[in-house]
Amino acid sequence: MLHILKLLIPALVPSWNFFDVITPSPRIQFALYGLNDEITIEWQEYRHRPTHLTLFQMIGRMLWNAKWNESMFIIGCAERLMVNPTLHSENEILNRMINDFTNKTSDIDLNNATHLQFRLLVVERQGSELHQNITYYSRIKKLPTWKIT
Amino acid sequence: MSIDDAIRLTEILMGFAFAQQSIEHFVSKGGERYMFIFRFILAVLLIVGFQTTGVLVILLLLALEILNRFQGPYNGGADRMSLLILSCLCLAQLSPTQYWKEIAFGYLALQLVLSYFISGFVKVVNPEWRNGQALCDVFLFSVYPASESLRNWANWPRLLFFMSWGVMLFELLFPISLISSTSLYIALIIAASFHLSNVFMLGLNRFFWIWISAYPSILWFQQRIFATT
Repeated sequence: MLHILKLLIPALVPSWNFFDVITPSPRIQFALYGLNDEITIEWQEYRHRPTHLTLFQMIGRMLWNAKWNESMFIIGCAERLMVNPTLHSENEILNRMINDFTNKTSDIDLNNATHLQFRLLVVERQGSELHQNITYYSRIKKLPTWKIT
Repeated sequence: MSIDDAIRLTEILMGFAFAQQSIEHFVSKGGERYMFIFRFILAVLLIVGFQTTGVLVILLLLALEILNRFQGPYNGGADRMSLLILSCLCLAQLSPTQYWKEIAFGYLALQLVLSYFISGFVKVVNPEWRNGQALCDVFLFSVYPASESLRNWANWPRLLFFMSWGVMLFELLFPISLISSTSLYIALIIAASFHLSNVFMLGLNRFFWIWISAYPSILWFQQRIFATT
């Protein structure tokens, strides 16, 4: 009850400090591990944003923007992991990745993949240049066997 | 606008915003989907005006469960504003007297004013906002731009400098619009346009619908405070 109250108070007495500081920004990358013992870890960016949106797509997003809002939640979980790592945040990211990959809502080919891991990169501007640092590795999670091709 | 009309209009607009938010979860897995189907049904009941006080209380309890499910807001500021409006409506409907009803609903109006003013204040005290660098960074490397092509806006620092000051000045001057109903209507149209541009550029559709839901409170508040003095 006290925990829920802690979550509720920022809504009842909001700080309203939107975009006060542009903080370092997380990126999520994932790697699939296969049945073979070959160690060839290839990190791929999770959920590319679209290259371009048409005006029609932008207007449509007024009413239906489920994927983008879920991506924002996943980014929120990544930000929580950078500050205060919890199993909840890690599970949310891993489970939504598995959901994407197994439901063919992404173009990721699972092939012989058996396990999944993600890592967090933080992008920040230092002077006039952008720098990336790896800040977090998730545990390696087994993929559901019933979906592996 | 009477307080009862303003509350009813807020309920309808918030009901629509909740329905829109809930539909986006219909493609989710398991428990999350069922929780939001239930929320969608409650939102429709609120829009049609069926047992509104009871529906509001159930929506608030469900909101706490959702907060617990995601260990915080699912959609940041939009969810926080949703909870704020819902809590104020619950308190207004359950208030024993007209005085407490006005206090509860007036608190929402006050927070709406602060949502713009404080957002402007925290920006203007930051030198990176004053020189336009912060908005450049939003487009350059933040997670918010809705498409890769929008990142090219970072190549237009002069434009972003003027946009930064446009946003900051509007947010800081928003409270002054309360002096007359005409100026308030103009300010709210500009504010809604600002939220609309955020939908197009940053994909923040939930902010647009839920902030608009709070507008009746400030229209009532302006008449209540300034039209009687």
